[in-house]
Amino acid sequence: MSFDLLSTVETGGCSAKIPPRQLEELLKGLPLPADPAILVDISTQDDAGVYKINENTALVITTDFFPPLVSDGYEFGLIAATNSISDVYAMGGTPLVALNIMMFPSTRIPMEVYREILRGGNDKAREAGVSIIGGHTIDDYPPKFGLAVIGTVHPDRIITNAGVREGDELILTKPLGTGIILAGHRMEMSTPEQMDSAVRTMQQLNAQGAALMQKYGVRGATDITGFGLAGHALKMARASGVTIRINMSMVPLLPGVYSLADLGCIPGAAFRNLDYTEGETHFAEGLDYNLRMIAHDAQTSGGLLMAVTPQVSMELLKELHASGHPEAAIIGKADGAETAALVLE
Amino acid sequence: MKTVDTRGLTCPAPLIKTRQGLNEAASDEAVQILIDNPTSLSNVKRFLTDNSLAFTVKEEGNLAFVTVTRGEKSELTANEKEYCTTETTGNKNRVRNTVVAITSERMGSGDDELGKKLMVSFFRTLVLLEPAPAAVVFYNSGVKLGLDDSPVLEHIRELSGKGTSIYLCSTCINHFGIRDRLPAGSFSDMYQILNVLKDADHIIRP
Repeated sequence: MSFDLLSTVETGGCSAKIPPRQLEELLKGLPLPADPAILVDISTQDDAGVYKINENTALVITTDFFPPLVSDGYEFGLIAATNSISDVYAMGGTPLVALNIMMFPSTRIPMEVYREILRGGNDKAREAGVSIIGGHTIDDYPPKFGLAVIGTVHPDRIITNAGVREGDELILTKPLGTGIILAGHRMEMSTPEQMDSAVRTMQQLNAQGAALMQKYGVRGATDITGFGLAGHALKMARASGVTIRINMSMVPLLPGVYSLADLGCIPGAAFRNLDYTEGETHFAEGLDYNLRMIAHDAQTSGGLLMAVTPQVSMELLKELHASGHPEAAIIGKADGAETAALVLE
Repeated sequence: MKTVDTRGLTCPAPLIKTRQGLNEAASDEAVQILIDNPTSLSNVKRFLTDNSLAFTVKEEGNLAFVTVTRGEKSELTANEKEYCTTETTGNKNRVRNTVVAITSERMGSGDDELGKKLMVSFFRTLVLLEPAPAAVVFYNSGVKLGLDDSPVLEHIRELSGKGTSIYLCSTCINHFGIRDRLPAGSFSDMYQILNVLKDADHIIRP
């Protein structure tokens, strides 16, 4: 492919989200719908909405789209679809069908690129068992792509931000640092190997993690995306009324992330996320500066952060390691609510 | 005074150049950074504040001159002075920075069985060390001691609980084909390991 999608954007992927603090302000005051069939709405800041159809079935509904974060159209499609579907997994659901959401200029970019993006999205959807049954395209530049996804979950087995209990251990399923590696790639500071591992991570479905969460009765989880590990952990802690402690030295990192951060390759989104968390976060004395910023790095199609009872955490972790998540790790735990909702050590 | 010109550059390039400039400048040399986009200005200011580096900002229209004052004449507290004369990397808040490098499963050479026993004994004693080491780095066959079936697992956990960082050489784990086992610390690349060793005041290598 000759056309470089990265030439169309300054920030791609989930780094392109509106700053979390600003978004909360914007959404404030919008009336929440009062239908009793709504099991999960925006009030717990969850990954998807959940709507009860009957005693055995609830729909999980979500959408996500963003500008390009890699050069190749097919790869962009794969990553965008993985990221969109992930929100269904994060709620413990099984994705079923999806619609394409595309913004693409009718001139300026070869239409071949359009087809490649859709082909990537379609291939990833198929891998997840999702049928794409329609879509919508707007003439716009730079391009953006993602899916609106519908899945199902048993109403008693929904996994939310609010399901973390005191004493739970926290497992992160994918290594951190996609935002930093992508920024490093644009600055020509990341090696091709580092970029490859980031791209591989972003294309990995969270399907295994979701299945294991159901197997082990996990009730609190989220996927790590634009607000970074710290931002999403804080949302969980708030919604669950606990304090989450994360030991940053236990957090798995993509190769090269620490060194890039140390060189100052810290994308602006990490600073925006830090603005968001710091009011409710305690940073342990001596916490390495680079690790603090890595905790706030905006992830695209990141891993699941799940709250697991200590009785089964090791078993679950072993199964994750055996099912394509060799770097999954226990990175912290949930304590009773303290002054700070989030503690980074 | 050293000047870092980031005009026309977008995030995170100005921060990268700032950091590079601070590393290259003499420890008491002031560094002036020219920034012409507001996001990068705010991020660079945040970076300097978080790293306790004193600075002044002068704005002329869209252009900001950020001057990091590191000379004797600047009004820094003793503590901040200490920050400014060290490099801008690594853990600087620890008083004594002792790092333990575990390079083999055994302590010393000669008798392998004895070496293994000594290593267990070493860890049993290491947890009593005050203050606890800043980090324990496991590499080469030493990395086998950093996994869930390690004979010293409980001691590693105890150190971890005291705030000691545990680093495992990722390449070594791949080399021995032991990715399926649970790590007792975080996977690290050579750059991270080198930085930990570089920032150490003392390195203990049993």
